[in-house]
Amino acid sequence: MRKTRNVVVRPSGADRSFNIVVDVFLWLILVVIAVPLWSTITLSFRPNDYIGTNLEGMFLPVWKWSTAAYKALLGNNGFLMAFLNSVKILVAGVATALLLTIPLAYVLSIRSLPGRKVLAWLVIVPYVFNVGMIPSYLLVTGLGLQDHLAAVYLPVAVSTYNCLIMRSFFEGIPTELKESARIDGASEMQVLLRVVLPLSKAIILTIGLFYGVSFWNDFFHAMLYLNSNDLQPLPILLRNILMASGMNEYVEVNAFGDAPVSAIKAASVFMSAIPMVMAYPFIQKYFTKGTLLGSVKG
Amino acid sequence: MKKSLKTLIVLLVLTALLVPVFAQGGTESTAKPVVSDQPVTINLWYGAAITEAGPPPDDWAGFKVIKDKLNIDLKLTALPSNESDQDVKVQAAGAANNLPDLFMVRRETMLRLIKQGLLAPVDDLYAKMPNRTAKHYDSASKNNTTINGHSYGFADPGSIAKNEGLLIRKDWLDKLGLKVPATLDELYNVMVAFTTQDPDGNGKNDTYGYGAFQEINTYEEWPGRRLEPIFGAFGVEGTWNMTTANAGLNVLKPEFYDAMVFLKKIQDAGVIDPNWLAYKKDDFRAAWKQGRFGIMREQNAAYAATANYAPFDKNFPTGEWIVIDPPKGASGKRSVGPYTANFRIYSISAKAAKEGKADKIAQLLEWMSSDEGYYLLGWGTEGVNYTKGSDGIPVAANLPNPDLAFSAPGGQTVTQLRNMVFYNGDVELGSRYPTYKTATSGKTMSALIVMRDMQSRDWTTQIGADMLPVPNADLKRFYEQGLSEFITGKRTLTKENWNNWIEDFKKQGGQAWNDAGVAYAKENNLLN
Repeated sequence: MRKTRNVVVRPSGADRSFNIVVDVFLWLILVVIAVPLWSTITLSFRPNDYIGTNLEGMFLPVWKWSTAAYKALLGNNGFLMAFLNSVKILVAGVATALLLTIPLAYVLSIRSLPGRKVLAWLVIVPYVFNVGMIPSYLLVTGLGLQDHLAAVYLPVAVSTYNCLIMRSFFEGIPTELKESARIDGASEMQVLLRVVLPLSKAIILTIGLFYGVSFWNDFFHAMLYLNSNDLQPLPILLRNILMASGMNEYVEVNAFGDAPVSAIKAASVFMSAIPMVMAYPFIQKYFTKGTLLGSVKG
Repeated sequence: MKKSLKTLIVLLVLTALLVPVFAQGGTESTAKPVVSDQPVTINLWYGAAITEAGPPPDDWAGFKVIKDKLNIDLKLTALPSNESDQDVKVQAAGAANNLPDLFMVRRETMLRLIKQGLLAPVDDLYAKMPNRTAKHYDSASKNNTTINGHSYGFADPGSIAKNEGLLIRKDWLDKLGLKVPATLDELYNVMVAFTTQDPDGNGKNDTYGYGAFQEINTYEEWPGRRLEPIFGAFGVEGTWNMTTANAGLNVLKPEFYDAMVFLKKIQDAGVIDPNWLAYKKDDFRAAWKQGRFGIMREQNAAYAATANYAPFDKNFPTGEWIVIDPPKGASGKRSVGPYTANFRIYSISAKAAKEGKADKIAQLLEWMSSDEGYYLLGWGTEGVNYTKGSDGIPVAANLPNPDLAFSAPGGQTVTQLRNMVFYNGDVELGSRYPTYKTATSGKTMSALIVMRDMQSRDWTTQIGADMLPVPNADLKRFYEQGLSEFITGKRTLTKENWNNWIEDFKKQGGQAWNDAGVAYAKENNLLN
């Protein structure tokens, strides 16, 4: 019996140099990302009696940190209401967007569909030639959507970009699978629900994440269409907090209590990012797979 | 099959194109005339006093009083906190002919809406609210909203003018046996002494003469207001010279070069905190509280209000800042800096006027300026959000629930409309800046007394300078970058280099900017 030998390939000098360059580059990227993040985190824990520059504040010992900003935010009804509104927009928005995008993408993926090209053009043309803000505003207000949370997600419920990615994915599913279902008597809806969708978990989660992030961060539509104060989502409140230019400079009042305004700002930024940051690890494996598969036309 | 599909698609496209047309028409047709015995609904888009706080709650006493006494059903919407977002929201509503009845608007946006015929003239309404007009609207304010002989908005007083001053560490002066500097040369000598003679006595070479940071706005270009007392000594404070005799951009005046030479001198001598080019506002404020420099231009409350002064008081119980006159230059000129009158404009939509709501709006605004409206919108409900002191000034004392005090977080929502009633009168200033004793040293402090002192110093009137044209982004960058490069040494500051740079600046659009500004100022009688 022949013995197998482990062959260790020693990296050449060029390989080592290349690896060092890559390592340094990655470390630089890490620093570029980590420093602002650390700055925001430490700023959010800054005590009210702290005096010093922001740079010094980044090295403030942990035992001197204060959680006043987080307590103030979590104890504030306005923040909780805005958070809840954002969650409503997120859930309803993602559901609506997927409900509309999936059938559209599926229809566009059926090569034998009569008028498929015309339909595809109808989807692509508005993507290239945007109608602009004013016609959209007229449409939304005319449809009576103003001051409804739906005004934030319905006008952007179908993203052409996401739809095209999804269409490419659907086109990559072997036609034989769909054909066999049709031969067995399945309707197109059954083909979509029972054959296509179970095979498309990756793309659905990926596109869902795309939609989720965009709805969670959407400031513009909420600003434009929501007048009622009870409907304001987190990005609006976040913007208002960030615009609070040091209230105590003039009147020594801060609507969130004793924490410094800068800490409140940083804490609100950090807290509003948490849901999306938490979602990524769970969807990451699908995320990579989904985008890669969607990008390759079969 | 193919034909019917095409027909269907054409129909769909036509429908999609027609929906916006009907959408606009629908808004117009739903307008109803005011019925006298029914409450009149007034939609008000207001600028929040505290952006991060919520709106007045549904049970806010103001809603009931306004309905009972004025027969007005007031609907409130807070405008976005950022001015450009406000513009977007207002202009989008304008394009849809969907403007609210009364709304805060920036002057530039107001001008556009006037051109579109979306705003109602309000000339006749001033006489219908005599009390408010007397307190809020003077000729400068009316001039601010008057276009082609008609006023299209109520310009209420904005933030307090001249509330900054040149401050110096008196304890450092005393320790070094120096007198308060009166001239630019004396100021320079004090800066040197503060930098080199260890004025805080800690044995370290860790202090500087002057502290600043770059803080600019439309009428105070680079290097900004923190250094205006120095530029004022050369007569070139602010972006513009607003005098009839010498109107134009200050940077084009020969004295501006002299001011730059002085700034370069203190930079090279190291008597200005070298971090001034990198500091942000918070860094600057942290630095003076840490005793890093002994001369600065600062805002009254940022210096003297309780929470702001506390860290300095704790670090330096024997420390003392005093307000001083800005230094006199060789030609005898001096100025803390330029000041302008800023306004918060509230306009009435043409739609509201057409619906007969203008008089009701005047009634509402006049009520806001009555004692009842003034205190209710400014401080909340007496006994709940404030009590009156012996001098009649609202204080946050003796309240059953201190968390609801107008100065506490819980009291912020009920005073969100206070900017609609405040006019920088004595009552509100006395309430905003109470006299107090500092926690560590026990000093008696008052941001109000400090402000009055600051206001009594020499300032330069530049009312209207913030209405002049602004440079485009490229020219602004060229301006700021060029000047800062002269100070940092990237460009050598010689007369020849300066003149070359000025010529380049003119070619880049500086001359056109200057000419447009002067023409606008002359047309609108803004020159002094």
